[in-house]
Amino acid sequence: MSLDNHDTRISRRKFLLGSAALAGAVPFLSACGGRSDAAAAPTGPPKRGGTLRVGVTGGGASDSLDPHSPVTNPDIARVRNLYEPLVYRDHDFEVSYLVAEKLEPSADSATWTATLRDGIRFHDGRPVTPADVVATFRRIMDPDDPKSGAASLSMLDRVTAKGDRQVEFHLSEPSAVFADYLGQYSLGIVPADFDVAKPVGTGPFRAESFTAGLQSRFVRNPHYWRPDRPYLDELVLINFTEDDARINALLASQVDAIDQVPVALVDVLRSDERMRILSSETGTWLPFTMRVDRPPFDDVRVRQALRLVVDREQMINQVLSGQGRVGNDLYAPFDPAYASELPQRTQNIAEARRLLAEAGKSNLDIELVTAPIQAGAVEAAQVFQQQAKAAGVTVRLRRVDTTTFYGDNYLKWDFAQDFWYTRNYLPQVANGSLPDSPYNETHWQDPEFVRLVRTADRTSDAGKRTRLLKQAQRIEYERGGLIVWGFVNQVDAHQVYVAGLVPDRTGLPLSGYSFGHVWLG
Amino acid sequence: MTATTTRPTLLRRALALPQAKIGLALTTVVVAVALLGPWVGPWLTGHDTTGFAGKPFQSGGIAGTDGLGRDVLTRFLAGGLTLLIYAVLATALGLVLGAALGMVAGYSGGRLDSLIMRGSDVLLSFPQLVFALLAIAMIGPEGWLLVLVIGITHAPRVARVARQSTVAVKDADFIRAARMYALPRRRILLREVLPNITGPLMVELGLRLTYSIGYVASLSFLGLGIQPPTADWGLMINENRIALVVEPWGVLLPVLAIAVLTVGTNLITDSLASAAARSSDATTSHTAKEASA
Repeated sequence: MSLDNHDTRISRRKFLLGSAALAGAVPFLSACGGRSDAAAAPTGPPKRGGTLRVGVTGGGASDSLDPHSPVTNPDIARVRNLYEPLVYRDHDFEVSYLVAEKLEPSADSATWTATLRDGIRFHDGRPVTPADVVATFRRIMDPDDPKSGAASLSMLDRVTAKGDRQVEFHLSEPSAVFADYLGQYSLGIVPADFDVAKPVGTGPFRAESFTAGLQSRFVRNPHYWRPDRPYLDELVLINFTEDDARINALLASQVDAIDQVPVALVDVLRSDERMRILSSETGTWLPFTMRVDRPPFDDVRVRQALRLVVDREQMINQVLSGQGRVGNDLYAPFDPAYASELPQRTQNIAEARRLLAEAGKSNLDIELVTAPIQAGAVEAAQVFQQQAKAAGVTVRLRRVDTTTFYGDNYLKWDFAQDFWYTRNYLPQVANGSLPDSPYNETHWQDPEFVRLVRTADRTSDAGKRTRLLKQAQRIEYERGGLIVWGFVNQVDAHQVYVAGLVPDRTGLPLSGYSFGHVWLG
Repeated sequence: MTATTTRPTLLRRALALPQAKIGLALTTVVVAVALLGPWVGPWLTGHDTTGFAGKPFQSGGIAGTDGLGRDVLTRFLAGGLTLLIYAVLATALGLVLGAALGMVAGYSGGRLDSLIMRGSDVLLSFPQLVFALLAIAMIGPEGWLLVLVIGITHAPRVARVARQSTVAVKDADFIRAARMYALPRRRILLREVLPNITGPLMVELGLRLTYSIGYVASLSFLGLGIQPPTADWGLMINENRIALVVEPWGVLLPVLAIAVLTVGTNLITDSLASAAARSSDATTSHTAKEASA
């Protein structure tokens, strides 16, 4: 599993420059990246062939090729290229069809019928059958060993095969947005006799070799349903736990693309003519979470005051180096029902002071639990602490490690933070804003809100559903427990000769780790 | 005792050595920065330690900004005091605890000696940093805990030296005389034994202080010591290392300060050790001469 066979593609000059970078000469290297050395970005029709080497953040000894339990970023990157769900979110966060070519609800939205793509085959050439889909969902929802994808399928009662190409999803409660729930990377369709030791799916690549914690090598799937795809012959995903190592590997041309560029280094990489930055606006958010059932946050005036002390522009600039967009204490910004008509909340210290005085909390002293759960989390807590001073609020930071944060006290902290990828409104509500949601950090259980979203989930008329969801969002805006100060851009980088990577709204790095349309110039 | 009263003190003899002078100069510079920095910084730069001076990792001001846009120079100037206080307190705790245990063990001998020294061996079997990490992971990164844990892990090492030195002097004539006068044991230890083992203890003091600085800085670097948003050298290295390429000062300044401080304290410690060794040689030759006469 060595990378020796890639060395032939690396010019001597690149190799020498790479060695210099690894020897700790990164600043020098960046400064020396002259124009004459700059390669031009590929143009024209995509070219076939070549190997793409990708540096992916994280991973470890527990890495796996299991299609239904991806945990770390390398797991997700592998799953995205080996397997495909019936439907999935495309780069614009619209539902697109993969293994299914059609997904339709019954009149009451209690049964959904998926029609499988005509002629679609697994890596081993066998056709995908409805029985495979039924077996896949049986594996995901195995009561003895439920996989991570099962968490958002609580409404799914049973899956049945119908004819040669159709599968029916029978729901225990009608859902007009079931496609949203099905469009997850952890719901990849696999054969009925699936064995993780011989991972077979319908993705653009098939597994050639895999070493947990190190790297995986995938090769082109000759049976892929999209004509001419993938363009690459080979895809190598390499684990990197350290930011420095990943960036040095890119500068040294040991990898062709990396995910998760620290925002502080965006300008450095951008100034290097050999590199391209891929910055994607996403719906990823890092909220502050206030428990609405615990003092002092049980007083809506305190919650609103704390939302008003936040200078959102400053948050984006200081925490994300400008790589993000301000939030309005609402999530799911790409949902067609997003309540964009609500006025953008801005810092208003006088109003915050007034609300706190009214609540009898003029000299509020609160503890904020923070942890490095995601790049920018601890930094956001520090900026919030600084901003709150202006309203006379003392914020004591309690920094814990990530394991402690997500340990026994997770979902019990009075005032803390969390981290969410892009979701549409109803799936996000199901995950975090209902009394029975698995991750309801704020203990939010507003009866009017619950009634509105439950009704909306059953409403198949899109216009009516949107109106209900906008009302629900107004309630969260006026009395919710989340401070959504912004949405984080996903920033990745690649060599200039890598083509086909486009901004992606899902929040997953590098075009959603989807390398089927990537080619090398 | 005669030797210590008629000759210059150990500290004076040590400071007469050239490396001690260099060590003292280096240490003084860093200590002065650490002590005065929190007050001089804001006056010099016009920024406080937690306020925003610009965009993250920008080259404005003398040393640029850190990852949150705070002024690096202000944070550097303010970042040594807490580290120094914790290191000094931890060293003092380790020295007092270790010296007391070592002297009691060495002077008493027998089962008490075995009990104390085997107990120390158990503590010694843990690498110091691992022990500190364990305690902090269990209880949390509190300042008092940092001092306590580092102090406690120093104690067995100091106790060994103190015990050895006490055993060497406990049968000297002046101690036997003190025992004949039925002086209480505490008084014998404090008035007779302690002044005669200050040499090795001073060397330990310097050595342990150097280690304490390293441990406090390391734990802060690992996120288990001094907590954000407090300005601290160890923490600064961690916070700014990602931008070493862009804005190196956020890492270089604290690294240089910690390096200079530890080199300084080490040079002083070396001088103390040399002076103590010479004093011990002089005493030995003096005694040998008396014996031959």
